[in-house]
Amino acid sequence: MKVVIVYKWARDDANAAVRADGAVDWRGAKMTAGEDDPAALAVAKQVAESSGGTVVGLTIGDGDASWALARGVEEAFSVTDAPPLADNAATARIIAAAVQRIGDVDVVVMGDSKQDPGVGPAVAGYLGWTALAGLVSASFADGRIAAVRRSGTEQQTMSAAPPVVLGVAAEADVDKTPGMKELLAARKRALTTWSMADLGLAVVDVQSRGTRKPEVVAAKLFEGEPAASAAQLVAALRADGVL
Amino acid sequence: MDSWVFATDERQWGGMLAAARHLGGHVTVVVVGSRALADAVALAGPDEVRWVSAAEDVPPEAYAAAVADLAAPTRPRVLVSSAEPAARVVLGVVAARIGAAVVPGMLDLAASDGDVVVSRAAIGGEVVETLVAEGPVAVVFVGDAVDGGAPAPAAVVEQAAVAIDLRVVGTEPVGSATGVADAARVVAFGRGVRAKTDVALIQQLADVLDAELACSMPIADDLGWLAKERYVGRSGQHISPQLYLAVGIGGAPQHLEGVRDAKVVAAINSDPEARIFRTADYGIVGDLYEVVPALIEALGH
Repeated sequence: MKVVIVYKWARDDANAAVRADGAVDWRGAKMTAGEDDPAALAVAKQVAESSGGTVVGLTIGDGDASWALARGVEEAFSVTDAPPLADNAATARIIAAAVQRIGDVDVVVMGDSKQDPGVGPAVAGYLGWTALAGLVSASFADGRIAAVRRSGTEQQTMSAAPPVVLGVAAEADVDKTPGMKELLAARKRALTTWSMADLGLAVVDVQSRGTRKPEVVAAKLFEGEPAASAAQLVAALRADGVL
Repeated sequence: MDSWVFATDERQWGGMLAAARHLGGHVTVVVVGSRALADAVALAGPDEVRWVSAAEDVPPEAYAAAVADLAAPTRPRVLVSSAEPAARVVLGVVAARIGAAVVPGMLDLAASDGDVVVSRAAIGGEVVETLVAEGPVAVVFVGDAVDGGAPAPAAVVEQAAVAIDLRVVGTEPVGSATGVADAARVVAFGRGVRAKTDVALIQQLADVLDAELACSMPIADDLGWLAKERYVGRSGQHISPQLYLAVGIGGAPQHLEGVRDAKVVAAINSDPEARIFRTADYGIVGDLYEVVPALIEALGH
């Protein structure tokens, strides 16, 4: 099985500054590994290992492609001029086109990003593949992918025939910072770069008419002596009928 | 502008329908799941409910392509789902089929001169962005819960739909059942509680409120003060109690995602600028070690 791990495909909101008027300044932030990327990489490796297959990396945009190469992935591809887009479908179209160009791919694994939750499902839509999201683990057996999803109350195992797109949501931070040896090895690993034009893609996006601070319906705050505040809160909750 | 709303579970359809209504067009809901879910959605008053009966061991995602077959010929302008994984997969597959843009974080929709105007939460909810889609657009709804209910329920029409080769092969409960998931009242605490021995104080508050005790992720994950089944948030419990009382919880977006459907949120925090107060209905600004005993006292009366 050929497994593609898609990584560093969006910017991190933490790198954006929100100004007082609600305008967003990205301060030149580059595409970066999302909080779900390490968990997705672990799942990609697990699927490849259990199927006797390989993992190849795919990244888009201006981030450093060596992230996956320094974490045990032997070969990676990068669509270097893919811009950050508000339209998750437009991002998905770029990823899907690159997956098709890589060729013979059975499984695509990517982080099920909180910021851009529509990308993974739309990648599957464009490829015409099965999609599963919100996963915590996956492996391969008897020609099928077994994928596990967990809610607060139950854990569900699903069985799908490849090709599939798997969206992995991190439950904890599992990233290990690579050591010098891995970083040096990453430099020798194969990185193929493409432009959007190479893939026959043009940039399309929805138009933004700007950003603003949300209208906050402020909480009714009780700030006096603890006893008085407590009595006021209890009265308010009784009035709302929740006590 | 006509819209299609995809519902695979009981979450969020009140708010999704309300947003779709703002477009002024025909609102079709596709329910992939049980007849009971379809009937419940019909009561909220969309124009039309199309019900795809999902077999017990087949997840809703398996019908995504079939739903696209239903939706595509009607050329919907807007597609709506919740952020739940199965619903999102249906949305993404239909969106790709009809060539729609996909916009996450939708709070509300409007129609303007033939364009769809999407208000969406961006940068972790720090800002609201206004996006304009000239063509079809699919949106992931993350707005507030809205109670459904309409004068005339829609008719439920069952649709023939073929599932792809995808099935559920195992379901097991996670950890021990705690009662947090469906408690009417939940008291949760976070890092504002300084020591494990102080958990007893919060438990006491929960007891006088007849509430279940819960916590934020670090309390269960990093500190292990409560069982993991008791943490509320993105990867933990998603709950909808009548009352959620957050004690010493800052209110990170990951945490708030777990209580989006709570009816009343109250919070105790020493920092008047704490993020939790932007979501809470009521708040007490003060030291929880003074406020909680006072609250226990006040509730005793």
